[in-house]
Amino acid sequence: MTIQGTLTILMYALAPFLWSIVAGVGLLVVVQLMARLRGYRTLHYRCLGANLAALAAGLSGLWWIPPFTNSRLAYVATAADWVAMIGAIIGLAIAAWLVLHPLSYLVRGQRQA
Amino acid sequence: MPPPLEPPRLDRRQLLKMGLGAGAAGLLPLGSLQASTLSTNARIVILGGGAAGMAMANRLSRRLDGARISLVEPREIHHYQPGWTLVASGVWNPDKTMRPNANFVPAGVDWVRQPAVGIDAEQRRVSLADASVLEYDYLVVATGLQLNYHLIDGMSPDLVGSHGIGSVYASIEGATRTRDAIDAWIATGGGKGLFTAAPTPVKCAGAPLKMTFTTLSRLEDTGHRDDFQVDFMAPGDALFSQPWVNDFVKQRFDDQGVNRRHHYRLTAIDPGARQAEFAFVGPDSEFTSHHELREAEFSQEGERTVIADYDFIHVVPPMSAPDFVRESDLIAREGPFRGEWLDVDIHTMQHNRYPEVFGIGDVIGAPINKTAASVKAQAPVVEANLLAQMQEQPLPARHNGYTSCPMITGIGKALLVEFGYDNNLDFLPSFPFIDPRDESWVAWVMKDRMLQPAYYAVLEGQA
Repeated sequence: MTIQGTLTILMYALAPFLWSIVAGVGLLVVVQLMARLRGYRTLHYRCLGANLAALAAGLSGLWWIPPFTNSRLAYVATAADWVAMIGAIIGLAIAAWLVLHPLSYLVRGQRQA
Repeated sequence: MPPPLEPPRLDRRQLLKMGLGAGAAGLLPLGSLQASTLSTNARIVILGGGAAGMAMANRLSRRLDGARISLVEPREIHHYQPGWTLVASGVWNPDKTMRPNANFVPAGVDWVRQPAVGIDAEQRRVSLADASVLEYDYLVVATGLQLNYHLIDGMSPDLVGSHGIGSVYASIEGATRTRDAIDAWIATGGGKGLFTAAPTPVKCAGAPLKMTFTTLSRLEDTGHRDDFQVDFMAPGDALFSQPWVNDFVKQRFDDQGVNRRHHYRLTAIDPGARQAEFAFVGPDSEFTSHHELREAEFSQEGERTVIADYDFIHVVPPMSAPDFVRESDLIAREGPFRGEWLDVDIHTMQHNRYPEVFGIGDVIGAPINKTAASVKAQAPVVEANLLAQMQEQPLPARHNGYTSCPMITGIGKALLVEFGYDNNLDFLPSFPFIDPRDESWVAWVMKDRMLQPAYYAVLEGQA
C-alpha cells in the first residue's frame, strides 16, 4: 500500500464526517486560542471537574461507539476489539479534555480571577 | 497467435528506469516495479467498468504513455456491491452504495458508454450494441458475471420484493426490496423462511450465508425467534469453500436452529402459491434422512423433487459469464469451467489461448475469487503481466488466489476471512492481530466503515 493509497482510503473514510471533524477541530482551536490569550497555561491550571468530565466523555464511548458502528457492546469481545475500543475511548477523552480544560479556565478561572 | 506489437519506443530515461528496475527485480517486491511508464501506441480495450475494469483503467492509464485505452461500460452509476448485503439487512441506506462512474474514469481513457455484445478473438474485435466495432491489440475482460434467474422456472428479478421473495444479488433496488420483504415477513410474527444457494460459482459466495445470519439477528431481536422456522437449502455438501469457515457456519447454523438441507437445488418457484420446488441432486440416503419438508416426491426428467412452502425465500440464482463472453472463443472449452467462464491461467490471469487477452474479476474461471478483495489482489498482477506481454517478456507476477470475505455472523459482528489457493485454501490474514477464527467487532467495523473506502482506492488504482 502506497502513502497515496492510504491517503485515498482515509479521504473516503472521513468524507462523510468532514463537517463534524471540521467543526470539532474548529471548536478546539477557538477555545484553546481564547483561553491562551487570557493567560491559560495547560499545566498550570487545575480543574478536577474538567478532568472528570473529559474522562466521562471518553467512557461514554462505551455507550455510543458500538451503536454508531451498527453494532453493540456485547460484540466487543476479542483482544483486538478491546484495544481498538480502549484506543477510541482514550482518544475521545483527550479530545474532550483539550476542549473542556481551557473552557473551564474561561468560565471558572476568569470568574475566580 | 497474433503477431506481437512493434517493440516499445523507449527513450533514454525509460531505458535507465527499466535497467534499474531489472537490476532491482530480484530484491524488491512487485509493487516496487510499478513506478515506470511504458511508451506505446497499443489499442487496449477494457470490457466492463466494475471494480476490476475501473481499477485496470486507472492503473493502465498511469503506466502506459501514448496507449489508446477504451473502457466499455454503459452504466453511469457505479455500485458498491459488497454493501448490498448491508442494505438488504436494513443496516445501510441504499444511496450509500452508489457513486457516478465519472468520478473514477481517468483522464485520457475513452469511456465507451455502450454494452459489448460480441468478441471476435481471432480478429481482435469487440462488437458493441450500436453496431460499432472496437479493434484492440490487447483486451482486458472484466465484464463481471451474469445472473441466470431464468434457469429457475417461474423466477424473475422483477419478482424480488413481492410474494415473499428476496434476492440480494438482483440489483441495489432488489437488495432494497429484499429488505422490505424480510421486514414484511418479520412483521407477520412467524412462518417459514427458505434461504438458498446456487449450484454454480457465485460472486461473494458468503452473501447467501450473510443474509441468513443477519436475518437470524433480526428474528432473535423480535424476542420470539421460535415462531420462525429457518431452512437453508444447499446444493452440495459444503456451505463455503474455506474448510474451517465451512465447519464453523454449519455448526453455527445448527446452534441457531437453522435446518440445513444439503443437495437441494432450487429449480422452480410459484410466487402466487408461495411454493418453491427443489431438485434433490445428492445420494439417495441423504434424501430420506435429511428433510422434514412437505414433499411431493416425483420424477421429473430423472430428478426427484420436493416442494416447500415458504413465507419468505431468499433466491440465489445460478451465475455464469455474460452470454456474449460465453458465445465467444474466449470461453473455457474444457475443465470445470467449460462453457461458463473465461479461460484464463488463474495465476497469471492471461488467457490460455489468446496471450493478448487477460481476464480479471468475477468473469474468470477460478475455484474462488469472485470478490472485490480478489480484484485488489489481481489488478497489480494483470497490470504487471500485461505490460510484460506488451514487451514480449516473461510474465513476472502471479496471483495466489487471495480473496476475502468479511463473514457477517450477525448484525454487529463478523469473521475477517482471508484465504488463497494454497494449502487447501488456507487462511492468508492481512492483519496479524485479527484472528480469522474469531468473531469480532473490529472485523464488523472494517466491513461497515473501512472496506468501502478501500474499495474506492482500488478503483482509483491506489490500493
